This record gives sequence, structure tokens and C-alpha cells, in this order.
Amino acid sequence: MTEQPMTHDEAVDLAAAYVLGALERPEEAAVRAHLETCGLPHPEFEELGAVVPALLELDDSQLVEPPAGLRDRIMAAAAADLAARQPAAERTIPFPSTAERTLRTERRAATRASRFDWALRIAAVVAIAALGAWGLNLQSQLAQAQAFDRAVTAVVQAGAQPGAKTVVLAAAPGKQGAGIGVVAADGSVTLALRDLPATSGNQVYTAWVIVGETPTAVGDFSVDATGIRGLTTKPATTPAGATIAVTLEPNPGNTAPKGEVIAAGVAAAPPGATS
Amino acid sequence: MNESQSGLRGRSVSPTDDADRAVLALVTAGQLDALQELYDRYRIMAYSIALRITTDPSLAEDVVQDAFLGVWRNASRYVEGRGSVKTWLLSIVHHRAVDAVRRRRPTTELPEREDVPPPALTLPDIWAEVAGNLDRAEIATAMATLSDVQREAIELAYWGGLTQQEIAERTGTPLGTVKSRVRLGLLSLRRALVGDDGAEDLAEEGPA
Repeated sequence: MTEQPMTHDEAVDLAAAYVLGALERPEEAAVRAHLETCGLPHPEFEELGAVVPALLELDDSQLVEPPAGLRDRIMAAAAADLAARQPAAERTIPFPSTAERTLRTERRAATRASRFDWALRIAAVVAIAALGAWGLNLQSQLAQAQAFDRAVTAVVQAGAQPGAKTVVLAAAPGKQGAGIGVVAADGSVTLALRDLPATSGNQVYTAWVIVGETPTAVGDFSVDATGIRGLTTKPATTPAGATIAVTLEPNPGNTAPKGEVIAAGVAAAPPGATS
Repeated sequence: MNESQSGLRGRSVSPTDDADRAVLALVTAGQLDALQELYDRYRIMAYSIALRITTDPSLAEDVVQDAFLGVWRNASRYVEGRGSVKTWLLSIVHHRAVDAVRRRRPTTELPEREDVPPPALTLPDIWAEVAGNLDRAEIATAMATLSDVQREAIELAYWGGLTQQEIAERTGTPLGTVKSRVRLGLLSLRRALVGDDGAEDLAEEGPA
């Protein structure tokens, strides 16, 4: 690593090859290091480098459409990279209020063991959000992606509270719709849902908390053409192991489901948490 | 705007550049959609460049994937004023493609791994373009002003991925001659694209 630094004259001598990328990489790195540290101007680099972009303008006859699968591979790799690079703390979780902090301090000892699990869980949630977000088409639907982002952010915030449980809702067989949610200490469920077919007429989606065989309706909601919906349900008794389900109902206000289950998942306490 | 005769001198920033920078800002913020948008804007150019250098479709795909992931991870390192987003992106593709062919070429001595920064961090420097929107015909005309040996040297370097040392060996020409061919070729290209006015601009001492 302790190579002889390149002199100004040596660097200038290599300018043409440098801007064309015609140096061995270590030599190129030495030139770059020189450019970054040398106080003298280097007009040769600007002068010669400015024409290089013109070389990149290929003929129509040389232009080739890449295979269709390449986009998906790149986006999947980028999504994985995003999930890996963002630890939970970087996601926008607001700093807790004093009361919350006191509460947390009291619980900290009990939940210490679970904190890493939590970080993993939230990272997983972020990963789901990331994977979901890229499927949306930017040109027309950036706002839609942001709506989903906001919904996910609300979920993540809810997940940061003590006593929260998580749930991943997967589409029922043959149905479309998926999401993530967090069950708060009071049993209300904050959900971020996507890919739901839009409701029409009197139709509503209904969220249910199912304990044993007993479903309790905790909220009706509509979905527009974006298929995205963020919401927080009414409080309900929602122990770990309860199923959170979303059905499509022909009308609002049902106390027992009439429609089919669209998506569902089981609420789980963070591993090691005391409940 | 009533600028001087040489419309090329101002290095105009096109609306495309502005839009690209907005997209890149979203990429910096970790918006996957923005990366996809950038991909869709430049996938054809990127892939075509990679394919021309590697002459291998599957290697070209790897190069393009590498380059876009490099952009994804290092979007914040794009420096405004050092060239357009398009040039930055395509230069990264070019750089990766050259790396790929050199790695494949058995005759090339591979650099010691620890001597070079990890690939994800090696981004090529770029400079403000000589002109914003050159069309292919202008460039072809400019290329025609080069001598055959100058053009050969530039093509071997830029599209063949050869170092100037390798060009010297390949063409049986002294290294010093290759150096001056590359340099004079680029200067000639510049003169043809910018005009003589532009070459003087470099001195930053235009007539008062």
C-alpha cells in the first residue's frame, strides 16, 4: 500500500491513457490519487477527458436491447442490498417521548435478549417494503410507492413500541394482496397492505382478529386503484398466535365474515419477549 | 438566448440531464423505483457498450448488473458539474466492461487484489462533456479527422480494453508513439467537435 506517490509530470504524461481507461488499474489508481491530492491544475485531463463521452455514442446499428430478465435481476439485487444495508435504526423511527423512554427503560432489562431479534424483524419488514416498492412503476406511480412507504413507516413505528407483535399477511390461494402489520399493546393492528384489488360499490375489506375459531371484526376499509392501503384497526384482544385476516365483504358492518379471505397471517411476539 | 456562434461552448445542461439528476437523487435516497427508471433510460446504451467491449452477451449482462449496482451503492458519489449522469453511468459501464475483458484475458497480468480498491468503490472520473447533444453524424465526422493509426490506438484502448503498453505490443509500435497517438487523436477529436474556439477556451483567456 505504500507505493511511491506519482509526480505531477508522471500523471500528466498519462492523462490521455487515463481518460480512455487505457492504464492498468493500479496505475490508474495512482493517477487518481495524484489528482485528488495535487494542488496544481490539470487542464490536460479536462481537455482530453471532455471528448471521451462522445465515444460512447454508438450507432443505431450497434444498439442492442438487453435480455428482459436483466432488469429483474438488477432490481432484486438492489432490493437485497437495500435490506442488508439498512439496519433498523436507520429507518425513520422517531425518538420516543420521555414517557415512552421511561416505560422502555423499565422494560429494557426484560426485553434485552430480544432486541436483536427485533432488529432482525424490522429489517425483514423493511426488506419486504423494499421488495414491494420496486414492482411499482415509477413514471405513473411514484406517489403510490410513497404511499406504501408511509404505510410501512407507520408499521415500523408501531413495531418499535414495547409489547408489539408482528404479522406478515400473505395472499390466500388464488387471491391477490399482501402486507405486513404490527399488533400494538392495546391489540390494535397497524397494517400496510398492497396489491389489493380495488373495492367497488358497497364492497369493503374487513380486517379480523381470529382467536381460536372466533373472528372479531376490527375495521372496514376501502381500497382504490393503487391497491395500497395503510390503516390502524380498532383495539381488540390479540394474543400471540391470533390470526389477522382480511376479507372482501359485500357490505360494511359485518360481524361475521361473509366474503372470502384475501390475505392472512399469524401474530407473533418477538422471540424472547416477556408478554 | 443569443450566445456566441459556437453553441457548443456553454456546455449547456439539457432537460434530460436535469431529469436524470432528479432520478439519481432518488437513487441516492434508496428509492428502488428510481433505479429502475434509470435502468430503463439507459439499459440499451449500457448493454450495447458492455457488449461491444466484451463481445460476450452473458458477460455483458454481468457488467451491466455490476454497473447499476455500483450506481445504486455509490449514487452519492456522483459529482454535479463533472459531467452528466448519463456519462457517469455509462463510464462506469465502460470501466466494468474493460475490467471484465482484462480479467478474462490470460495474457494480462492481473493486479494484486489488495493493491486496488474493491471494484464497488472504483468509479471512473468523468469530466464535463465537450458538448451536450452531439449526434452520431457529428461524431463520425470528427472521427474521420483522425489518422488511421490514431483511430486504431483509441479504438484498441477504448473498445478493446487494451492498456497503452498492450497497444504498443499488439501493433509493434514504441510506447512513446502510442502515447502520442492517443493524445493527438483525442485532441484532434476535440478540435473537430468544439472548433478551434473551444480549444482556446481551455486557456480561460478569451478576448476581453
